[in-house]
Amino acid sequence: MAGLTQALPAAGPRRIELQTVLCTVVLAVVALCVVFPLVLVALQSLQVAPPGQPARYGLDGWRAALGEPGLRGALVNTFTVTFVRQLLSLPLAVLVAWLLARTDLPGRSWIEFAFWAAFFLPPFTVTLSWILLLDPEYGLVNTWLAKLPFVGGRPFNIYSFWGIVWVHIITGSLTVKVILLTPAFRNMNASFEEASRVAGAGGLRTALRITVPVMAPAILSVLLLGTMVSLQTFEVEQVLGLPFRFFVFSTTIYDLLVTRVPRYDAATALSVLILAGMLPLVFAQQWLTRGRRYTTVTGQFQSRVHALGAWRAPAMLLALALVLLVLGVPVVFALLGTFMKLFGFFHIPDPWTLENWTTVLGDEQFLRSLHNTLVLAVSTAVVTIVVHSLIAYIIVRTRYVGRRLLDFVSWLPFTVPGIILGLALLWLFLGVGILRPLYGTTAVLVIAGVIAGMPLGVQIIKSGLMQLGGELEEASRIAGASWWATYRRIVLRLMAPTLLAVGMITFVGAARNIGNFALLTTSANRPLSMLQLDYVAQRKFEEAVVVACIIMFVSLAGALVARLLGLRGGNVG
Amino acid sequence: MGAEPGTSETVLALDGVSKLFGQAAAVDGVSLAIRRGEVFTLLGPSGCGKTTTLRLVAGLERPDRGEITLRDRVVASASRRIFITPNQRNLGMVFQSYAVWPHMTVFENVAYPLELRGMKRAQIRDKVTRVLELVGLAETEARAGTLLSGGQMQRLALCRALVYEPDLLLLDEPFSNLDAKLREQMRVEVKLLQRRLGITVLFVTHDQVEALSLSDRIAVMHRGRVEQVGPPRCLYEEPASAFVRDFLGQTVILHGRVGRLPSGHAPPVVAVELNGALAGRTLAGRAAPSVALPHGGAAHLAIRPEDIEVAPHDPPRPETNWLPGVIESLSFVGDRYEARVALGGEYHVALFIPRGREWREGERLQLGFPPERMSVWPA
Repeated sequence: MAGLTQALPAAGPRRIELQTVLCTVVLAVVALCVVFPLVLVALQSLQVAPPGQPARYGLDGWRAALGEPGLRGALVNTFTVTFVRQLLSLPLAVLVAWLLARTDLPGRSWIEFAFWAAFFLPPFTVTLSWILLLDPEYGLVNTWLAKLPFVGGRPFNIYSFWGIVWVHIITGSLTVKVILLTPAFRNMNASFEEASRVAGAGGLRTALRITVPVMAPAILSVLLLGTMVSLQTFEVEQVLGLPFRFFVFSTTIYDLLVTRVPRYDAATALSVLILAGMLPLVFAQQWLTRGRRYTTVTGQFQSRVHALGAWRAPAMLLALALVLLVLGVPVVFALLGTFMKLFGFFHIPDPWTLENWTTVLGDEQFLRSLHNTLVLAVSTAVVTIVVHSLIAYIIVRTRYVGRRLLDFVSWLPFTVPGIILGLALLWLFLGVGILRPLYGTTAVLVIAGVIAGMPLGVQIIKSGLMQLGGELEEASRIAGASWWATYRRIVLRLMAPTLLAVGMITFVGAARNIGNFALLTTSANRPLSMLQLDYVAQRKFEEAVVVACIIMFVSLAGALVARLLGLRGGNVG
Repeated sequence: MGAEPGTSETVLALDGVSKLFGQAAAVDGVSLAIRRGEVFTLLGPSGCGKTTTLRLVAGLERPDRGEITLRDRVVASASRRIFITPNQRNLGMVFQSYAVWPHMTVFENVAYPLELRGMKRAQIRDKVTRVLELVGLAETEARAGTLLSGGQMQRLALCRALVYEPDLLLLDEPFSNLDAKLREQMRVEVKLLQRRLGITVLFVTHDQVEALSLSDRIAVMHRGRVEQVGPPRCLYEEPASAFVRDFLGQTVILHGRVGRLPSGHAPPVVAVELNGALAGRTLAGRAAPSVALPHGGAAHLAIRPEDIEVAPHDPPRPETNWLPGVIESLSFVGDRYEARVALGGEYHVALFIPRGREWREGERLQLGFPPERMSVWPA
């Protein structure tokens, strides 16, 4: 081959150069948007002068992040919440994924769909629903339990460490793991288990000694991904933690910046610490996916399922209970909440009203935010489809030298907690002179949305392109079509459902995103997702839950459309 | 091999076993008896129910009808609601994908079934080493199982299935993932190993060469039913049904009607007056087993191409059971010729011609159809 390339000097190189230049431009832009802001954040942590004054460098920010009890406490809280929620959700998720993929659980495809839908529920909405049930004073569960004998008063308090952990497990930790693990379990070669059973092991022993160890790389990978995802949201702690002064890193950063004298040095130093803490996870995840140490996926073998036998009923009961908790309760109670005169007060005479809806729908603030959200979500979806498909195409189809790097950089935002990405972009738009006019516009939020959605979007399009195989394009080229004609008439046509699905979930993501937008919104570009948070800050829960409900239904509709377009949990991994 | 007192010669018996998937019967009333020490093969095209039958024996599927008996113990019975789980059947099984557990080393893979049987560590080490040596895998024992080559993985799967001396070894298309040369080699290895250890084997394959060369007896399956059971040679030479005849080996078929017997022949030989371009010619053959051949009824004459005799155009042979032909196409493939001979009209015969003499395309010759090699079937 080498001799051949040397023998053909003139014709090829110029076109390859053009392609290389284009690819390098893409890589540079992506790196500018993803890596450069993070570098700015790191530099900013050494700049201690208050905003508006000449730059002065020092270690005050770092001293505060490491020394001030409040900030150090936030780091400890972040770690504890993350650790506990992963510890509790992982075994449960493995069990559910196993039940859905490897057993004859009745209705398992519906249950899987329910988990998929639950994954798309906005955490903010779910938090409000569970407040209705678990509020220490008026929460319904507490009220019911208080009526029972032997129960000492009202046992549950959602404004607590365990309340926060509970809502986190419901809103993300469990569902994301189930939808990632179920396809992995389904693709496992059933002969691994059958060989063990024929060799003399029973069902339980086979599960523990064969199924789980064989799946260990997949499980570990999902655990790492789940941990990273779990740091994306901050609204749960913002709503539930604030009343009892419980801060994690994200709410602390927000708190440090959204005051009269913002403390950029401390906030950025804290961000750098969190990012440094993520690094081992990043490397572990990369190592796991690079190595592909085990080939558990063997498409040609039918995956057969276990008969649950006597365990059918209990397993079914468990699955249904979980579906009720992750999907049923949030949807029903969010909807109920919108019709309450006083949010959460079920026991007052005649508690129901339509007034919240009329108030909100007539509110000028709401209409402006709705307009912002629509512009934002549609633009984000369109830009995402173009940019992400370009990136995916370069990674999968070209021989560009930097494609591995591009792959890595496009995945990097996954590991950057939402609030930190927001902070980094804030710094980009405030710090770089020519970008400053953009601050406060919807364009800033669109850029944030495109970057935040990049890992998932690129991943999904990549796997679609890989399934497509290069031969279909090559056949078109040989049949006489130009590159552009091939792209238009073959690639785009075949990829259309995938691209639309990506557009759909990006639309949903932009409509409900809080973490990435919290530091980038002003009253001019405030979308609905931030409006609901503002309502809560003003203790207007009735209005907040109406907005939250609207966002929830947009999310569910988007998830449904994406599903109909062929998106499954397997593409997401 | 004499039967020990108290134990039967039959290791495995299936009695009217059926398995339904939805409405369709994958296995439909199969009855078989596998004797101690034999290699018994289930042969058939894909979808004929052979793998499902094997999985029923393994306990990986439950029968919907019928009874399965393993060494005088009923392990599955639909009517009596008996079902012994696979782990309590003491069977060995080699899977099509080998199912070498990727998280264990070669040694650990083989040791696993012994551990499950509560064996002591020293004894496990001893047994595993011995069985790995038997197939030449001793040096690889510390390696991850999935780092082995295809042939090695298969040997490993075999070791894992044999190490605990199961009552019956089940092989599910074990050679299908190997390339042609390795396949042949493994076939010989498995046969030698089986003879040496005297194990009873139930083998599933769709490859007739594998089946014929490895088996003591074969059951040909078709649409969930057993078409015929017998030793390889018997099946090949005396197929009991048109399906078995056409599935095993090549068959040349000539059409005609049952006619008058030429002199010198007596039943069970039947004469067939050929149709079409060969009208007027009569060939004789043995009647296929247990079929009715009324005089004047449409009939098929079948013969294996290698049983057809080839002679030059000159000198002419007797009219009975010889037909003249012309070589239409001829290719020399080294040890012999591959030829297509036109007999006239729509009749063509593809056959091999020995290279004892030089043949040319367009050359005329005579083909002989020995009556004892011909079988007659109702059309």
